[in-house]
Amino acid sequence: MIKKISLLIILFIMLILFIQMQFDLKGYLNYFSHEYFLSHTYKDTASSNIVTGIYLDYRLFDSIFEASILLIVVSGIVYMTTKEGEENERVFIFEKVKISNLLTILSRVLYPFMLMFGVYIIIHGHLSPGGGFQGGAILATAVLITYYIDPDKITKFSLIIFLEKLLFISILIISSLSLLTKNVLFTNFIPNQTSNTYRSIFLILLNLLIGIKVSLGLVSIFSSFLKEGRS
Amino acid sequence: MNPILSFIIILIGIYGICTSKHIIKSIVCFNLIQTGTILLFLNLGYSEEGHIPIIGEQIEKIVDPIPQALMITTIVIGSTITALALILSIKIFHYYGSLYWKVVFDREG
Repeated sequence: MIKKISLLIILFIMLILFIQMQFDLKGYLNYFSHEYFLSHTYKDTASSNIVTGIYLDYRLFDSIFEASILLIVVSGIVYMTTKEGEENERVFIFEKVKISNLLTILSRVLYPFMLMFGVYIIIHGHLSPGGGFQGGAILATAVLITYYIDPDKITKFSLIIFLEKLLFISILIISSLSLLTKNVLFTNFIPNQTSNTYRSIFLILLNLLIGIKVSLGLVSIFSSFLKEGRS
Repeated sequence: MNPILSFIIILIGIYGICTSKHIIKSIVCFNLIQTGTILLFLNLGYSEEGHIPIIGEQIEKIVDPIPQALMITTIVIGSTITALALILSIKIFHYYGSLYWKVVFDREG
């Protein structure tokens, strides 16, 4: 009881400090960065979407570490759920639950459209809202809906991990190619003099790689949960 | 007012982590902290008359794009970390036979 009361007192003090900071913050807030991004992003990064321009050009270093965290977590989950020798003998949950025919037929119809929408979101990431992370999640749902169509589908985890490693290495190589052309690490490797249409190839390439990586990661996480839920 | 509300969500998450007796509840509170952080960052960059941060015609003012770019990575990382925590809790259940913190600590020592 005393512990809970003292915890509540500490949290209350934190709240009061935060409210005080909130009043101080109004003096520091300014809009210089907004104007800077609005006027410079298209010239610097060839991307209409400022958010994509930030996470694929200004702050590419952060995105690389984000991709590496995804790789580490996926390999950790797959390591913890697979045991030797019974890779193909496991029973999925879906084999025991009867799936209605309506859902199966509807997912057969929906599956190509979901794939197309995910690829559209990824490829148009530098022009409209979207990008690698969001489109990767849509692609992952499109791939996972095939469990409804074909419950006997076998996911090869070793192949997924190999592909994830390959994609991460290619993201590293593509983002550090600018050392050769511009003498600066982690930025667009196509020179500034070329037109913006060609410079956006870099953004499309990185968005595609990140999208495939995220979708592979989410597919492997969900499939390993399905395997773990067997009985 | 809105940043204070999202900070209250973070505080509720901290309280839940400190007092919950079940491992799944701890993971849920961990997610609460993450959601509160995302709301807090997006609130700090919000302005009333700002447009979405996409360059187009007749746009003079935008909302802050940096918190949005940071929160994209936070959402992906948060979902993967939650998945890792749930897998670990499954392993704990197979090993100790229970998901209550007290039972787990008793059986360990």
